[in-house]
Amino acid sequence: MSDVDLRVDLGRGCVLPNPVGVASGTFGYGFEFEQLVDIQRLGAIYTKGTTPLPRDGNPPPRVAETAGGMLNSIGLQNPGVDHVARVYATSFAQWSVPVIVNVAAATVEEYVHCARVLDEASGIAALELNISCPNIAHGMDFGLDAPSAARLVQAVRAATQRCLVVKLSPNVTDIGAVARAVEDAGADAISAVNTYVGMKVHLGLRRPVLPSRGTGGLSGPAIKPLALAAVARVRAAVRVPVIGVGGIATTTDALEFFVAGADAIQVGTANFADPEVSLRILDGLQDYAQSAGLARLTDLRWQPAPLPA
Amino acid sequence: MGAVLSVAELPGGLVELTAHLPHLAAHARAGEFAQLRCGPGPVPLLRRPFSVAWIDGEHCSFVFERVGAGTRLLAAMRPGDMLGSLGPLGVGFTLTPSQRRIVCIAGGLGCAPFPLLARQARALGATDVTILHGAATAARLYPTDRFVRGDSDGITVIESTDDASRGHHGLVVDLITETLRHPTDAVFACGPNPMLAATAARLSTVRAPSIAEASLEAPMGCGFGTCLGCALPVHRDGGTAWALCCREGPVMPMHTVDWDGLRALPPAHVA
Repeated sequence: MSDVDLRVDLGRGCVLPNPVGVASGTFGYGFEFEQLVDIQRLGAIYTKGTTPLPRDGNPPPRVAETAGGMLNSIGLQNPGVDHVARVYATSFAQWSVPVIVNVAAATVEEYVHCARVLDEASGIAALELNISCPNIAHGMDFGLDAPSAARLVQAVRAATQRCLVVKLSPNVTDIGAVARAVEDAGADAISAVNTYVGMKVHLGLRRPVLPSRGTGGLSGPAIKPLALAAVARVRAAVRVPVIGVGGIATTTDALEFFVAGADAIQVGTANFADPEVSLRILDGLQDYAQSAGLARLTDLRWQPAPLPA
Repeated sequence: MGAVLSVAELPGGLVELTAHLPHLAAHARAGEFAQLRCGPGPVPLLRRPFSVAWIDGEHCSFVFERVGAGTRLLAAMRPGDMLGSLGPLGVGFTLTPSQRRIVCIAGGLGCAPFPLLARQARALGATDVTILHGAATAARLYPTDRFVRGDSDGITVIESTDDASRGHHGLVVDLITETLRHPTDAVFACGPNPMLAATAARLSTVRAPSIAEASLEAPMGCGFGTCLGCALPVHRDGGTAWALCCREGPVMPMHTVDWDGLRALPPAHVA
């Protein structure tokens, strides 16, 4: 029996059974993994980015491996919010794992529309506002400055009573300022971070490997130190729960995010290489907390000393 | 996860790795693939997809070339090393008991699925499996005895080389018209996408069987339909759409593939 309290209260009634979630874009809507692992043990499934209308996604190639990471430019291929609310959500409602629908759009009105459509559906534990997609036009528009992010969160906050998570872009000068702005605007929790804009070059062709923009979102172990730094900055800026994400592939990686200030984590790219990795990390966190005598994982949190004047 | 049994060096830089993978061996059908973990990571981070080339009891074999970090690590594995395998994945070739004559078209490393296909087709009742196999030069041809694996009954291999070093001088596609003069129930092709496009074009000029399928390739992230990375252009509902190579393929009916769309794409960086 475990004495460790693994639950994470994201607010507004959204309590995750444990802190190990799977990141948006790396787990579909759960169905593909249902055949491979016991998804019901997860702390949360953060769905593929879901847009007002279905999207076909970008032309290939869409992925490119890099040293310790991968670039993707999928372009938010998804069946649209209506399909998610009407069809997928009926499955979500049967599951014990909380499903948090990641929402991406181009305008405030579209985000609000998605929130309203999803409000009609059962089986959705929370929304994760994606204001940080680097692979579509306007995907990061709201995530790049604090006033735009706040305006968006305020509007969605007014439209839904659901728990509202906001997923931040790391491609900013001061992620702490954006975090504080979305907290003030009514966000219940913050996911940090989405992918970093990156490029891989095909030297033989003298062009980027990924087409159109030439760039994609970098994820995987390569970004872990960057993501840890971002989580620490967000933690210092806000009081709401912080969900750490970026390059987590092992239990040790996950523990480091709790030290940096996370209340929960998401496993992303590692799911592609090992569908069982998230559950193994969950077991590993529990074992660690028990053997270290922790009441909760957030007891690991680093308390930075005040900077000298 | 299973132990590596052998890593054999074949002519022309091809490598054949055999491992104890009971689940894959029990379930894989020709054309389906496994995602292999090439090392402990994080470089390379992702698994690599390989057709199951052969099954012997609980053992599975894969054929590949050293084209990048992943395949170099695989080729350096030693007997007893543990190999992570996820699969079988994807859609394989359509084999039915009514197929008597089957023609396979293998361009280069596209040989990989055909030893298993020939054996499974023969077991289902095919009486003639003809494999057209082309490579740049003789040294890079997959050895005929590896296609037939000790039982050449009903299996014929016809070779071609670009440099005339063995067999027909020219492209493997050149062999299609003559081979299909005999009544044929199915055509299965595997090779680089441009070779598959040329095959589809050639088949449109002859009386091709109703079953004509190609095993395609695309850079994959996960291999099981989640990352959405391996999109290929297909004809659908009167227009074109993206299909996932890993889930809707890698084997697809040739008439569903948008070959012009595929040709127009920038080359994939697979290393």
